[in-house]
Amino acid sequence: MQTIKQLNALTARIVRQNLTNADTIITVIAMPMFMLLFFVYVLGGNIATAGGAGSATTYLRYALPGFLLLTMAMGSAYTSLRINNDRTSGFLNRLHSLPIPRWVILGSHVLASLIFMLLAELAVFVVGLIMGYRVHATIGSVLLFVGLSMLFGLAITLLAIPFSLKADNYASAGGFSYVLLMLLFVSSALMPTKGMAKAVQIFADHQPMTPIVNTARKLLDHSVSLSHNTSIIAGIWLVAGILIFAVLSYRVYAKMYLTK
Amino acid sequence: MKAIEVNGVTKQFGALKVLKDINLTVEKGEIFTLLGENGAGKSTLINILATLSAQDCGTVKILGLDPIKQGNQVRPLIALNAQDTTFDAEFSGLDNLKLIAKLRGIQNIPAAIDRVSRQLDLTEFLARKVKTYSGGMRRRLDLAMSLLGDAQVIFLDEPTTGVDPKNRLALWQMIEAIRDAGKTVFLTTQYLDEADALSDHIGFIRDGVIVKYGTPAEIKQRVTATYTITVDEQQVQLAQQLLNEAHIAFTNTNARFNLHADVAAKAMSLMLDHHINVLHYDRDEADLESVFLAINDQENNHAND
Repeated sequence: MQTIKQLNALTARIVRQNLTNADTIITVIAMPMFMLLFFVYVLGGNIATAGGAGSATTYLRYALPGFLLLTMAMGSAYTSLRINNDRTSGFLNRLHSLPIPRWVILGSHVLASLIFMLLAELAVFVVGLIMGYRVHATIGSVLLFVGLSMLFGLAITLLAIPFSLKADNYASAGGFSYVLLMLLFVSSALMPTKGMAKAVQIFADHQPMTPIVNTARKLLDHSVSLSHNTSIIAGIWLVAGILIFAVLSYRVYAKMYLTK
Repeated sequence: MKAIEVNGVTKQFGALKVLKDINLTVEKGEIFTLLGENGAGKSTLINILATLSAQDCGTVKILGLDPIKQGNQVRPLIALNAQDTTFDAEFSGLDNLKLIAKLRGIQNIPAAIDRVSRQLDLTEFLARKVKTYSGGMRRRLDLAMSLLGDAQVIFLDEPTTGVDPKNRLALWQMIEAIRDAGKTVFLTTQYLDEADALSDHIGFIRDGVIVKYGTPAEIKQRVTATYTITVDEQQVQLAQQLLNEAHIAFTNTNARFNLHADVAAKAMSLMLDHHINVLHYDRDEADLESVFLAINDQENNHAND
């Protein structure tokens, strides 16, 4: 019971740090909202996503799931920043000298990261609803979408940990998130891959973000056709990513902090 | 049972040997000060004692428990106040204290916070965001966060570095109050006056080696014991002549002859044998600064030999 209280206290601290920091809110919530508005109302009409001529409405329906994952990816930079800040300030050392189970210390960062990413995702989703997006799916599918988001959030949070622990300062701690964003941009997140240059299209079709985004899109919109393979590939990428990044995170953390 | 026992501890980072065969004991209820310059190994040792790092060789016991193998039992008994202040500057002092109180599992949090904030004179500032605090207030808050709970051994890693003289004095009083409450304080500092004023025992650490250990008085006595013989002004020349003939080194200012402890007794008997009127025979009190300089000189001489 005491362990749960400790986990709650530390998680609440980090969520509060995120929600009371203007820079975090602007980058993780306001910026994806602005990008969504810009892409839908400025570019959307010129992007054909459903075979015919493009329109803002059809583009919004296509791109919102991608923007939701993009929002989470932007949040991962702040996960890394918070952990790095705790390390460089000595706060992690203070925590390690307290009677707290070791897993709670980074566990609280992981939990806080997931909560904040989901809150940010929800905020962007509400903007999408206001813009006219409508969910064409069952409650079960929506819950599966939330589950997929959590797996995606967990994978990129675990990826953030080694960078946050190794980086000399907070500015470089979040650098890896640019790679995540680039992967999302060069995927089916914001536009179909079939219009891309051939080499780029091959890359986009075979990198992890495309099946993950396509699965997310399918879960929110049952009218989108999708092979089962895509969902399975997305699941494999996510589970493999979580396992690999968890091992990597643990090894870096153990080397730095676990004395036995 | 001792509060802290360190036997043959070594620690190396890559090729750099930071701690070399450290041995020391700290009794319960005392202030022990580890004194040394930057990079001497103070923080490395404190990290080992506070369960943050493991030694390469040797054994460590905190209240009879091994910090590595029994870390979960040791951590409730210790509190660490690191060199850098570690709090959330965007939160209030009260929020920071509440967080630590929750993590320590304190039952009556308001009462515990009230006690430490009174002790550290923070009560009226608790509602303010920490980013508005002065340097001294921040240090006091950081110390308050460390003192929450019922830790028996408190590690204070250079708590007064960068603190103004007024707040420094206040922190000294608080450190003494911790000891007076029956707790053990393991203090590191670069300040000789601080070690002299607060410590029951001092260890001088230099390049990872404890080069001197004892009470402040013992260390002063061992390293720089000198005596001053004051003679009748009419007999100064005769006294100088006697000491020179006996090849006894001395310095003198008028009628006051300053001599090393090894030769002071011989010089005294020589003067008395020659009917010199000795007015005073005094043992000089050394300060820790001269001890520190003497230790450095000795170590440098060894290195040059």
